[in-house]
Amino acid sequence: MAVCVAVIAKENYPLYIRSVPSQSELKFHYTVHTSLDVVEEKISTAGKAMAEQRELYLGLLYPTEDYKVYGYVTNSKVKFVIVVDSSNTSLRDNEIRSMFRKLHNSFTDVMCNPFYNPGDPIQSRAFDSMVSAMMVQSS
Amino acid sequence: MAQCAQSVQEFIQDSFVPMVSVLCSEDAERVTRKNNLSFPELLRPFCRLTSEGHLRDPNNQVVVVKGLRISVTGVNTRSPNSGEVRKLLSQAVSGCQPPEGLPANVITAGDYDLNISATTPWFEAYRENFLQSMPASDHEFLNHYLACMLVVSSREAVPTEQFLKLSQEQHRIQHSGEYTYPKWFIPNTLKYYVLLHDISDGDEQRADSVYEDMKQRYGTQGCYLLKINSRTGAAGPDEQMPDPWSQYLQKTNIHSPVSQFTSSIQARVLPAIHPLKLEQSADPGFPGNPSKAVNSADTARTQKQGSVTPGAAPTAHGACLTLNDHDRIRQFIQEFTFRGLLPHIEKNIRQLNDQLVSRKGLSRSLFSATKKWFGGGKVPEKSIAELKNTAGLLYPPEAPELQIRKMADLCFLVQHYELAYSCYHTAKKDFLSDQAMLYAAGSLEMAAVSAFLQSGAPRPYPAHYMETAIQTYRDVCKNMVLAERCALLSAEVLKSQAKYSDAATLLIKMTSEDSDLRSALLLEQAAHCFINMRSPMVRKFAFHMILSGHRYSKAGQKRHALRCYCQAMQVYKGKGWTLAEDHINFTIGRQSFTLRQPENAVAAFRHILINDSKQTATQQSAFLREYLYVYKSLSQPSNEGSLPQLPLPCVHSAQTRVFFGHEPRLAEGEKQAATHVWLDQEFDQEQAQLWAELEEQVVAVANRGSVHISFQPTQYCLSSHTENLRYPFAVVEEPMFVEVVFRNPLKVPLVLSDLSLLWKFTTKDFSKPQGALNDIISTEVIPEFTVGLEETKVARLKLLPHKTGELHVLGIVYNLGTREEDNSASEGITQKLLMFVRGRQDLEIQGPRLNVTKEEKTSVRHGPDRRLDPIITPPMPLLEVFFINFPTGLLCGEIRKAWVEFVNVSAVPLAGLRVASTHPEFFTFGSATADLTPVTPTAAEHCSAYKTMVTPPSDAAVTLVSPAAFGITGDNRPTVVEIPLTGGVLGPGEALQIPLWLRGPDREGVHEISFLFYYEGLEKNAKLGHRVLRHKAVICASRSLSVRATACRSNTLPGRGKRDEREEERSGSMLVFVDVENINTSEAGVREFHIVQVSSSSRQWRLHKYIRENKMQKIHLASRERGKLCFRATRCRTQEGETDSCTKFCQLTIVSSTTPCADFFFRRGPPSERQSLTPANSTDDSMTSIVRKCSEVELDIIVLWKAYVVEDNKQLILEGQLHVALQTIGKEACSLSQKEEAQEMVLLKFKPDLPPPASRPSLEQLSHLIKTCLHYPESYDHPFPQKSLCMVPVTLTLSNCSLAQVDVIIDLRHKTTSPESLEVHGSFTWLGQTQYKLQLRPQEVHGLSLKACFFQAGVYNLGTPRVFAKLAQSGTMCETSQQSAMPALIIINSV
Repeated sequence: MAVCVAVIAKENYPLYIRSVPSQSELKFHYTVHTSLDVVEEKISTAGKAMAEQRELYLGLLYPTEDYKVYGYVTNSKVKFVIVVDSSNTSLRDNEIRSMFRKLHNSFTDVMCNPFYNPGDPIQSRAFDSMVSAMMVQSS
Repeated sequence: MAQCAQSVQEFIQDSFVPMVSVLCSEDAERVTRKNNLSFPELLRPFCRLTSEGHLRDPNNQVVVVKGLRISVTGVNTRSPNSGEVRKLLSQAVSGCQPPEGLPANVITAGDYDLNISATTPWFEAYRENFLQSMPASDHEFLNHYLACMLVVSSREAVPTEQFLKLSQEQHRIQHSGEYTYPKWFIPNTLKYYVLLHDISDGDEQRADSVYEDMKQRYGTQGCYLLKINSRTGAAGPDEQMPDPWSQYLQKTNIHSPVSQFTSSIQARVLPAIHPLKLEQSADPGFPGNPSKAVNSADTARTQKQGSVTPGAAPTAHGACLTLNDHDRIRQFIQEFTFRGLLPHIEKNIRQLNDQLVSRKGLSRSLFSATKKWFGGGKVPEKSIAELKNTAGLLYPPEAPELQIRKMADLCFLVQHYELAYSCYHTAKKDFLSDQAMLYAAGSLEMAAVSAFLQSGAPRPYPAHYMETAIQTYRDVCKNMVLAERCALLSAEVLKSQAKYSDAATLLIKMTSEDSDLRSALLLEQAAHCFINMRSPMVRKFAFHMILSGHRYSKAGQKRHALRCYCQAMQVYKGKGWTLAEDHINFTIGRQSFTLRQPENAVAAFRHILINDSKQTATQQSAFLREYLYVYKSLSQPSNEGSLPQLPLPCVHSAQTRVFFGHEPRLAEGEKQAATHVWLDQEFDQEQAQLWAELEEQVVAVANRGSVHISFQPTQYCLSSHTENLRYPFAVVEEPMFVEVVFRNPLKVPLVLSDLSLLWKFTTKDFSKPQGALNDIISTEVIPEFTVGLEETKVARLKLLPHKTGELHVLGIVYNLGTREEDNSASEGITQKLLMFVRGRQDLEIQGPRLNVTKEEKTSVRHGPDRRLDPIITPPMPLLEVFFINFPTGLLCGEIRKAWVEFVNVSAVPLAGLRVASTHPEFFTFGSATADLTPVTPTAAEHCSAYKTMVTPPSDAAVTLVSPAAFGITGDNRPTVVEIPLTGGVLGPGEALQIPLWLRGPDREGVHEISFLFYYEGLEKNAKLGHRVLRHKAVICASRSLSVRATACRSNTLPGRGKRDEREEERSGSMLVFVDVENINTSEAGVREFHIVQVSSSSRQWRLHKYIRENKMQKIHLASRERGKLCFRATRCRTQEGETDSCTKFCQLTIVSSTTPCADFFFRRGPPSERQSLTPANSTDDSMTSIVRKCSEVELDIIVLWKAYVVEDNKQLILEGQLHVALQTIGKEACSLSQKEEAQEMVLLKFKPDLPPPASRPSLEQLSHLIKTCLHYPESYDHPFPQKSLCMVPVTLTLSNCSLAQVDVIIDLRHKTTSPESLEVHGSFTWLGQTQYKLQLRPQEVHGLSLKACFFQAGVYNLGTPRVFAKLAQSGTMCETSQQSAMPALIIINSV
């Protein structure tokens, strides 16, 4: 389903990036990094109006030739980015939303771990397997 | 998009200018050649008009033409083909680099501060060149020639004829159909006749007359006399002449230069025939023409010069032209434009307008009508294939649709944008309806542009026109060049309207695979669009910069690529996006390297390697190789001090450890060297503390009890755990080791070779000349040191100072290389060092954070750390200690003799040797009294450790010893022992062997025993007073015997034995029971224990007699067996010193009063109860002590044993001794103090402790005051039949054990209440007084005669009297019942 899943810290450095191994990892890093501009734009425009009622899901950030990039921002300004293959037209918005929700739940679990130092790269195995599950569904 | 020098309007106007061709006669060409210029080149700087022109549109409205520029080119200027254009553009871009010193403007977006050059002149250069190199197309007329200048020299014989000839030539070119190129705007092109007059050369009068002639022939508006070359000689060097050509020619040397028409005709086809020629970057002329050979070579040289040294002045242009000439040329252009060109255009616009108007009514309506009637339903049916076909539709040149377009173009050129727009609009409709897509796209494009350029902006800019046009150009017509032009225009327009987002999208869309240069430029512009947005999109900017950089590098524009990456780097740097950062750094490194900027390259590569990169191993090895290669090419062999810093491997400076001294020797045969300190030992805070305490103790002893305030324990190994505030001391000629911790962050192994320390040395005495480096300090070099992938490894580097002074270890120096697996080679040489570079890394150690003063607390300050800055002191003695026959395992209490050897390995005598230990009871060197016959250790190996002598097996021997003889003074045990040296000094190289007795610890288990040897030099060294040597022995103690002893009062009757015995027994005697158990569990090892001898030591008591059945019975105990020994102890009068009495079980008597037995006895640990002996509270409660004293014994029992041990099929006899301290009567004492066994986990209770009860003599103690004894006949015959009552006399002996008066009450009436005693005897009564009250003096024995009365025969227990006693002084206390006497049975027989 997803070809790349990323968790970006509030300060815009990556906490977690995982991409399908078949493709260049670097490309996804660039894609995700670039998408942060759009995320920030969306937050700044939507955030002013109603900060608390803002929906966490940001929708399609931007489409590239090969991929669609979706964004999600938690209330603590941690960003989730999911990159999906453009060819995968069967994917509905709802499914993306549920993926983000799953991601968010799992991320919350990671944060609840008393041994996890917020701001460190995520190394949780549970989180990793959840992300793998998301990416596996594609094939 | 970046800022441009030109405004949008200027840019668009300059993009579309009226084109004028030039036909030049040979003579005229020759005239201009004097200035190194062709005629069009001559005019070029003056082609922009400074004044306004006017013309009237078809509606007679005046149109103002401002700032018009015309383009003058030779008629034969061919449009370069695509390959050439590419080359030319590439040159234009690479020739235009960002200025060095220009301050870049800083854009702050969020938390980013970016340094970005606001302008991109290379892009503008590209754009200008691109637009100028546009090939003329059939679908538009903007760059078709509008006019032609015919230039003839005045020197020509018949200029008019020449004019005619040229005119015909022009006509031929345009109309013969031979040439598809150049293209002409209008069939009747404006011909402008120019007579060129060389003032310096020609006859001015003649020229004037010819001009007059021309005026008549061509009209005043159609001809011109241009006079140039007024300067005769070359310009003086001092004369500053502006050279307006240089910038034009340099910029435009890529243009195919103008050549004379006549010569170019046959050459015009050449480019197609000889494609090789296209390779030449700037084709100066046409090689087919020999007459131009000189010329072309000349120009070529010029260009070459220009390109190689852009700053140098090229061959001067216009050398024969004065400023007046410049003015004349300017005048000429103005005249030409206003008098010739503009009226011509005006005329043509009118003409076209008339044509269109006349046709409009007919053809237009007819056309649309037919469409309505016939084609209405047709259009939608057209297939895509058809559409594509029609894209290539070509109108004939005179088609009416094209006439509109032509008129529009004319209007556009003269800046009549309103009319142009409406014409374009109309044309667009026509073309679209015809499905002539190329034409339609062209019209759309121009309509959009003219709509934008209309002053006052009556309609908004139709951006969708542009989009459609671009799409059509690109997708339908496959004409990227046109699409690109369109995009460039549109983007510029959008930029001017601040629609950056749209502009960026447009530009990004235009990037494609076919042209890297274009893609790079457009992406860069798109990136600039992102950063210029109202809320700057920094990351998008960075990303597109990277894309652009990538394309630049593909296009061969290294410099631009590097710039792009560097700009993007600002965004990625230090934000945690390591993968991207590494990639950029790598690219920057590579680009920098290819651009010969090795410093930057090294810095970039260094960055990759330092970061904890997440790259794969292959990637990392590529990085590393690249780095090494770059580095190698950069660094020239230089001296060590100026070596550059290497990034790899990481050095953990803080973990650096420094060790002073020799590497420890391994055991040499029997000799076992002292463990001392070495880098292999981990730092242990507790141990360090322990050693420091030991050292302090020994120093205190050495300095007669005082320790200097500034005492610091000697530290041999400095690490991050030790305090490193002081400069450490190193001794000259003694090595020092620095342990450096390397960590390889990469997944590639690193090879360090020729690894050594880098140091600085300041010598103390400046008088001596400094020798070679190795004379001061020899530095050990590690030839090769490999750090595996992601490994942390330590390297130990050795220094050996030869001079005194101050040493500073600065860092390490090494060759960094990598190994490459070479699979092809079979073996041996499978690995080879590929390449390496030499560099250094500094060791900088930050001290601990200071936290004392307020200032230090509030700020972060670090103290110094001097572990790497030792002071080299003069020579000091150096001791080495070896142990010989030192055991590792002992039985508890086992005595073993070992030898210790002290060697002074330095060149300086050694004195004051002492040893301190944590376990002083473990070893002894023997007392001073013992004769130290230096028996060699080998000889003494199988002998007993004890000193023995043969004596007859008599009972006991008594000797008097004093503990002082064994070095024991007072209560404290000596932890420091002085080792006697002959003469007090151990000379250089001397060795001393002395015996050492060891006694296995009492407790089983593994014991660590620390020895600290202290010694000092003969002459006092101010800095380093003493030195120490540490040894840690590990002893495994296994169980041997458990000895328990109890003492009880003997009830023997006085007066029965011999007289002297009786005397002794008057003062008291005691029975001592010694219970010996073999608790050794290893049956295989220890076969049995023999009790050899029991000795006692006491001030008051001595073992008197061994009570046994068989005189010579030996006590052998196998595993788990027990034996009991019983002794009688008697009180002796000797108060001075301790008596030592022994009872032996064999022929040999061990002299237990000498070394080592006595040594160990006196060194025994303080028994747990020993402290109770000290009468601390005797003053406040003397009664208590009196009471206690009477039940107190102070008797130490020493059990000497032999163990028969089988080891390796050999029987060994081990000897040992165990000590038991008896303290109280009736209380069992054990050789093992059981203290620790009781230590169990106790629940912590937070309750206040109850106050200890007032120390009063316990009941138990009080019950021992009086000893009672009944004396009676054992059996008594009595004739009961005769006499019914039997009277038996009984004596009750009372003995006062205490040293005070005691009141005693004896109660005879008391009956035992225990049921069993009732059974045993019947009743009897005491006759006479039944209750007595007595007072006994201290130690008095009192006999009391009693009478018992029996009624019948039987067995009776006489032990019924109850004795109560109390101390006479204490009135308050009631009497305490004394320990009941033993059952005293009497048999009454009836006869």
